Amino acid sequence: MTTTTAPPASTGRRWDDLAAFMEFLEDDGIVEASDHPPEEYRTEVFKFIELHANSELMGGLTERDWIPRAPGLRRKMAIIAKTQDEIGHAHLLYMVAADMGVKTRDQMLVDLLAGRSRFHNVFHYPAVTWADQVAIAYLVDAAALISQQAVFKVCSYGPYRRILKRIVAEEGFHMRHGEELLMTFAEGTEIQRAMFQDALDRWWLPALQLFGPDSKPDDELIRFRIKSEPNEVLRDRWVQKYAPLLTGYGFEIPDPDLRHDPETGRWEIGSIDWSHLTATLDNAGPDSARRIRDAAEHWEDTRWVRDALERTGEAA
Amino acid sequence: MSETARLWHTIDASETIADASDPVSVRLADRVAAALAEVDDPEMPGISIVDLGLVEHVSVNDAGEVTVGLIPTFTGCPALAMIRDDVERAVSEVRGISRVEVRFLDSPAWSVERVNDRARARLGAELGVAVQVGSSPVQCPRCAGTTEAVSMFGPTRCRSVARCRTCGEMVEVMRS
Repeated sequence: MTTTTAPPASTGRRWDDLAAFMEFLEDDGIVEASDHPPEEYRTEVFKFIELHANSELMGGLTERDWIPRAPGLRRKMAIIAKTQDEIGHAHLLYMVAADMGVKTRDQMLVDLLAGRSRFHNVFHYPAVTWADQVAIAYLVDAAALISQQAVFKVCSYGPYRRILKRIVAEEGFHMRHGEELLMTFAEGTEIQRAMFQDALDRWWLPALQLFGPDSKPDDELIRFRIKSEPNEVLRDRWVQKYAPLLTGYGFEIPDPDLRHDPETGRWEIGSIDWSHLTATLDNAGPDSARRIRDAAEHWEDTRWVRDALERTGEAA
Repeated sequence: MSETARLWHTIDASETIADASDPVSVRLADRVAAALAEVDDPEMPGISIVDLGLVEHVSVNDAGEVTVGLIPTFTGCPALAMIRDDVERAVSEVRGISRVEVRFLDSPAWSVERVNDRARARLGAELGVAVQVGSSPVQCPRCAGTTEAVSMFGPTRCRSVARCRTCGEMVEVMRS
């Protein structure tokens, strides 16, 4: 990994005030790395991309944990490839985030590994069995894809938008993989079905919470055209797709209030317990400490690889 | 073995549509080739496996039995099983086809030279992915500026990462 090349020359556009900038966004304007958007925009978009990059990295390391334990060569190949995908996405996103001039790439990594940054809630829980990986691949990847599609649809920050297009294409591939994994368990033995049910009991709520609590009416990310739709709409899209699929396969969704309304055809979920989400996102979740410690150790263990690549790069 | 008596016709996917007076196997081969052209790479929607140079040959006999020879971009590419499923599905839907066999070939080895101009244009315009040919610097798909290598490793085995010196774009580069 060579160091970041200098950001592009500062020849970009400036806006007189926030109102002029908002007008630009409302006309489907796309902000480029060389532009000078208002500070509020820069801060919000940076935070969002940093969260995404951190989550790709932590997600990739979660996958990596399972490479030695994945059952069979084909599953191992798939999980190795997914690890490379996520780490590759993180790499691209950190570069784009660093260009926003809020933090350098090194600072972002230092903050993450010191437990000072946030990453998605789903990477704060332990994956107990292989069936947890299946639940993650089937439910969490789908939730992530729905969120990313909603960002891609309007995303006003050009460099991020263009990377997202490729990420969304690759996540579609992960989803097919998740569906294939699920079918093995859904059509499997009683033991396999029980294993997946246990995993579903653990992962339903975290996956549901990945979308976050209902959006505030003045959500900055919607205003700045980073997100196209509020959290609750995206969450509902996911519920309407996965509640019937999971119940159709004969699994029980761990929500006693879940019901199918025969009149509207909709699946209504019970109220969501948000009490642990903030603590989880503040790195005090069930598996946060181990995950961060492992990531930090991994970073140290692989230093020699980065050093070697750097030296090769300089010699070339 | 009844197969030995069959008339086999083998084409590479770039051949043009044959005329209707050709034997049955030739017309079938053309239909199969057309169906294959619609099969996209699972990680790159809109980019056909034919245009990426993954299809080495198609053999069809007049009983509608097909063998499709594919070459993987990289050994151990995780998308192979999906590509096989997609090819089997697409070809089995072709009128007159009775059996499909997909084989992954050991040779020739895939290289980026096999990616045709249409795929190159689409990869650049739609996904912002450039194609590395030889050791010459890769052109930025966004502004046509020169890029510099950032990392040998991208999100997939067949891609590295570069950055445009002019516009700063992060460019993924297909490589062999």
